[in-house]
Amino acid sequence: MREAVALAGATVTELVGDRADDWDLAGELPRDVLRKLAEAGLLAAQIPARYGGPGWNSTDSGEFTAEVGSLCGSLRSVMTAQGMAAWTIERLGDPAQATRLLPRLVSGDTAAVAFSEEQAGSDLSAMTTSVTVDGSALTLTGRKTWVTAACYADFLLVVARMGAEGAVVVVPRTAPGVQVHRIGDPLGCRAAGHAHVWLDEVRLPLDHLLGGGRQPLPLLVTTALAYGRMSVAWGCVGMLRACLAAAVEHAGSRRQFGRPLGDHQLVARHVADLWAGEQIATRACEHASRCWDADADDLGAAVVLAKYVSAQHAAAGAAAAVQVLASAGTRDGHVVARAYRDAKLMEIIEGSSEMCQLMLAGHALSRR
Amino acid sequence: MTTSSDRTAPDAVQTDLVQFLTRRTGKDWTADDDVFGSGGLSSLHAMELVVHLERTFGVSIRGGDLQKENFRTVQRMSELVERLQTAGDGGTGA
Repeated sequence: MREAVALAGATVTELVGDRADDWDLAGELPRDVLRKLAEAGLLAAQIPARYGGPGWNSTDSGEFTAEVGSLCGSLRSVMTAQGMAAWTIERLGDPAQATRLLPRLVSGDTAAVAFSEEQAGSDLSAMTTSVTVDGSALTLTGRKTWVTAACYADFLLVVARMGAEGAVVVVPRTAPGVQVHRIGDPLGCRAAGHAHVWLDEVRLPLDHLLGGGRQPLPLLVTTALAYGRMSVAWGCVGMLRACLAAAVEHAGSRRQFGRPLGDHQLVARHVADLWAGEQIATRACEHASRCWDADADDLGAAVVLAKYVSAQHAAAGAAAAVQVLASAGTRDGHVVARAYRDAKLMEIIEGSSEMCQLMLAGHALSRR
Repeated sequence: MTTSSDRTAPDAVQTDLVQFLTRRTGKDWTADDDVFGSGGLSSLHAMELVVHLERTFGVSIRGGDLQKENFRTVQRMSELVERLQTAGDGGTGA
């Protein structure tokens, strides 16, 4: 791993310290931690150097994401949101918009991306949030659900319909007509700042429409989600590493029936499966990151594969870790208890496991 | 695919794109078929299409160039590639 990545890992490890348990229980991340990481460009480390970002490739960024994911799933979720926002601006924004917005994301500001609606989850074509243009202003109306990191965001990227096509609107948190309603009791990633976002006739200048809008909706959604899927997948690798470390420590030190737990075959199998899961998820993520960095033709499938495999192994691995630690790991806030709840969410967000299966099946079937 | 002047003949762009879409969808394509319509390109492959165009033809497709009008058909995409290659600086992207 490059020196800068190792240094960033040490920085975030020190910043988080032993506080992730408390953040999970409180359901909130300290603003100063987010600001420090945002100012260092570490909430979106793939922002290119020409915009003031670290300019890391996907592989380095992924390893760092795993490091953060092993410490705190909520903080990693905020990173996913910030990185997804940055990538969406870089791809869909025109040069002036990228020059205006991306430097903000490496100097302290945070952002979130709003996709889902009450009736449009996996089926984003059912989206009803819409943007209309009238002279030199746009008007945005709709209700978004489960927007990760919205509680912390200085601005939101809202995916909307624009006539028959799609569009992404840059919405300042403080714009008139914007309401952010915190979700108080999420199952996992409890401190990630999930919120519902209401947009009632929000009027903004036309330059808040990324690239002028009217992009094909599938292109727009897949572009943003591709980054999110990579980030979630690497975050799951981190969860698996944290669970593996906790299970190995416990199985190696705790003695029952006169020997270490790890010498009992049924416990040893959990450890073996956890290690195998961590290795499989890592390899899938490394492959997808190599495809990302090489602009490979099979990028789409590699990204979905990494997300699908990593989330499944994280959910299974976290459950196994709780089982190995037993009463030692069943206190809410404990690293394996957090992973147990956080990993379940990873099987749902940025394309549920079932949606991933449908996409992968379609990919395989098209190769007949 | 690129010539010494970094320009690609429109026919070559269209042939390449038809091959790309056929590989992704498992069906035959013409230059006028609706790329994102029924039976067209799935969302899984939508970003791959942009990345493929950029890498194969040495252009950068960002901002307003990503509008649906430019991607509706193979014909439209080949016009986009020609315009971006003519612009010479890799397009209007940052």
